[in-house]
Amino acid sequence: MIRAASPTSRCRSGRCVPRAGWVLRISVLLGVLVIAPGVHAQGTPQLRISASADVIGVGDTLHVQLVASSADAMPSNPKLESVNGFAVRGESESPSQSFTIINGVSSSRYSLTVDWTLAALRAGSYRVGPATISVGAMRASSAAFTVKVVPAGQAPAPRAPTPLFPQSPFGSSPFGSSPFDPWRNFLLGPQGLENEPSQEAPPPVAVDPKLALDAPRASDYFVHAGVDKVTAVVGEQVTFSIYGYRDASVPEVDVSAEHEASAPGFVRQPLMSTKDKEAPHVGFASIAGKIWDVRLLGRWALFPLHTGDLTIGPMTVTMARNRNVAGARRDTESLTVHVTEPSLRGRPPGYAIGDVGRFAVSAEVNPRDVEQGGSIAVHVQVSGTGNLPSTVVPPARAGVEWLSPELHEELGPVARSAFGGHRDFDFVVRILDAGNVDLGEIRIPFWDPEKKAYDMARAALGSVRSKANPNASTRGDDTAPERLPGLPLPRERLESAGPTARKYVDDSPVFWFGGLAAGPCAFVAAVAGRASARRASEVWRRRRTSPLAELRARVAAADAACRGHDARAADASIERALYSATVARLGVSVRGALGSDVGARLERAGLAPAAATRLARLLEECEAARFAPDEADIRTVRERWDRAHQAIRELVRKT
Amino acid sequence: MRRAVGCLATVVALAAMPRIAAAEQDPSTLLASGVAALGQGHADDAIASLEALADLGIADAVASYDRGLAYALRVRVSGEVAGDLGRAVHGFEEARDLSHSRALVEDASRALSIVRAEIVRRRLRAGESIETEPGRSLARTITGLFDEDTWAFGAAGSSLLLGLGLFVRWLARARWARIAASIAIGAAIPLLLAATAMTLAARNDRLHLREAVVVVSNARLTNDRGMALPGAIQLPEGARVEIVEPRSAVTRVRFGRVDGWVASNALRELARLR
Repeated sequence: MIRAASPTSRCRSGRCVPRAGWVLRISVLLGVLVIAPGVHAQGTPQLRISASADVIGVGDTLHVQLVASSADAMPSNPKLESVNGFAVRGESESPSQSFTIINGVSSSRYSLTVDWTLAALRAGSYRVGPATISVGAMRASSAAFTVKVVPAGQAPAPRAPTPLFPQSPFGSSPFGSSPFDPWRNFLLGPQGLENEPSQEAPPPVAVDPKLALDAPRASDYFVHAGVDKVTAVVGEQVTFSIYGYRDASVPEVDVSAEHEASAPGFVRQPLMSTKDKEAPHVGFASIAGKIWDVRLLGRWALFPLHTGDLTIGPMTVTMARNRNVAGARRDTESLTVHVTEPSLRGRPPGYAIGDVGRFAVSAEVNPRDVEQGGSIAVHVQVSGTGNLPSTVVPPARAGVEWLSPELHEELGPVARSAFGGHRDFDFVVRILDAGNVDLGEIRIPFWDPEKKAYDMARAALGSVRSKANPNASTRGDDTAPERLPGLPLPRERLESAGPTARKYVDDSPVFWFGGLAAGPCAFVAAVAGRASARRASEVWRRRRTSPLAELRARVAAADAACRGHDARAADASIERALYSATVARLGVSVRGALGSDVGARLERAGLAPAAATRLARLLEECEAARFAPDEADIRTVRERWDRAHQAIRELVRKT
Repeated sequence: MRRAVGCLATVVALAAMPRIAAAEQDPSTLLASGVAALGQGHADDAIASLEALADLGIADAVASYDRGLAYALRVRVSGEVAGDLGRAVHGFEEARDLSHSRALVEDASRALSIVRAEIVRRRLRAGESIETEPGRSLARTITGLFDEDTWAFGAAGSSLLLGLGLFVRWLARARWARIAASIAIGAAIPLLLAATAMTLAARNDRLHLREAVVVVSNARLTNDRGMALPGAIQLPEGARVEIVEPRSAVTRVRFGRVDGWVASNALRELARLR
């Protein structure tokens, strides 16, 4: 019974044999029907591209997502072909693979999700794409789309992007919820349509592209730090925020700060109330195909204290809940802010570095009538946002003595991400002169970071009527010693119209080479020149008396003689040239040798017998011609010179 | 008609604005307004005008001198802000360094003595060290005996003497000439070496030496880790220090034999005509 109720096959000797043939046949038929469209589609990978917005502002971020799937091989090498007008800020790839076996038939599906983060550079209408991808040896491309970039701040609010595919525990399906999806039943389980994702999946959430990152910094939960600007001037508010990102599919996570972010180059002011127990939810982010719940863990206003590249250190948190991640630590990034001074151009007099924000000043003087030597109260209030000045320099006037003020302040977050409030300065002012005393004006110059320009907050103090009092201590009072007596008078004309640097003689290379080194160098050159001249003269003298020099002179003389008409003189010249040649080239003199002795001497000196014979014959011919009763024909002599010259040349070569 | 007149007035006003702004930024105008404010006893206005002059990048002895007077005036009229005496010292020191006029150098030196005397008086009253000028090193003192050009001409003269001596010693036949040449050579060589070294030192100081004045009441010296130096050394207001290594927040300075780090905003660098 048991065997009869068992399923369809039984294995014998390693081979499975169908037992219930009709069941198998139906299964195979159904399998072929279901798989057939997929088999047909295997050659062409499925590509789908989408963007986070159609219209964005300059500087905004656009997220482009490409989902490619193939049954043949894992898609690879994704490229976004045209991104004119955008800068590519990041690219992340998320590969996935599904493997199913139904009724003994196995199948695989490969998917690759690619996210590009683009930043809009210029306004205009731009065509983005197509995106291309490789599957095996084939390269497929998606459709392109058009994005309109408008000036910063004019873009409509970002639309809530619809997820490409409903979240599925098996990953994304390239066919969505299409009723023709051949894989749907495999992915959804045997219950098929009863588990339609569209019926049970949670409603899609609106993700904020501004919260998106190129890639998650950790799984399940991570912390991310950011600043609203990476360049600032000294005293300008930099808003520093720390966000917690939780994978929306994991349970709630409790974190506690283990190590606060250090910011040694800044004055730090909190922008969030510490009374808030729970970090406020700021939105959802889509990162690498996952939805992340984002909460604001902390926000501070940082005011740079000095110029340079100032670093904000990482913040470390420890996770206390849930069980999967309890005890694990997460760090934020280290950030750098480049800090400069505000422009020197247009800087108002009295501007103090660090006074950056938008300020207003008001003043109240009470009373306006006072006796000479008496005191009045001056209340000055500086209000606004930014780095409010901690001191106010009162107008220094002769006859008016300002005592140190009492300071009260009420500062804190005044908007979502601004720091400000007001500072009150209560001065006691002594009026030393009688009459109508002008108190002047309180001026606070500041740099407005929004306008990128200087501005001035002013409050006129008006004047005070001081009634003369002969008993009051005055400026000229002998009991009060004069401070800094005897200072000289000011000058009224500039010494120079501008910075004119004086010229120094040692700035010129002429001084170092001509003035300093010339004397000793001239002496060294003279000594060296004299020695060189002596050496050159000696060499020249030696060269002039050498056998080779004599040979050249004899050859030249023979040439000259043969061009003339005196045959005897020409023969004598040829003979002298031949004698010189033997001395210069062979080191042997044949002058005075007779008959066969000439040839023998030349052969002993290393000359080939034929050449020695030829040379000896030439010498004999010359000798005979010189002393013959009849003068030889000059043409014959020239012909002899040609042969003699050739012999001299050969003599040279052989030696 | 009214609209046309209004438009014309607007255009004229807009065209005149850059000129007005330029006039406000004119160095002579700023100096004149500063001097006028000094005459009226309005120290703040004088400081504002003269600081604006400095912000324009004008390195002028008179501007520095008048700025020193403006800060001194603020102390005088009881409107003193912490660091005013140091800023006054800075102005006078800068004027002395920049000026080619003997009269101005004398006035600046006199004003400097008066301000330094006030600083010393205050430090005495507070029981603090009264050393405000530690003196210069021996090498720098010797270098400062003469102008850089004087050292340069001395070096060139020594070089010429050495060259002549060598030639005479080489070529002359007369005994007395050869002896004279030997003496000249013996004197010229050390002179040449010393004058060249002084020229190089003076040139190095001119091109690379950076100095500043302390413009806070007391500047605490620390080591490179921000720890106070042993003996709690404090630089007095108005002290002239040598800048060894500037960083954005702190600066390494040398004050006599003392070497340490101090907050950069406690110093104001002296302008140089390089």
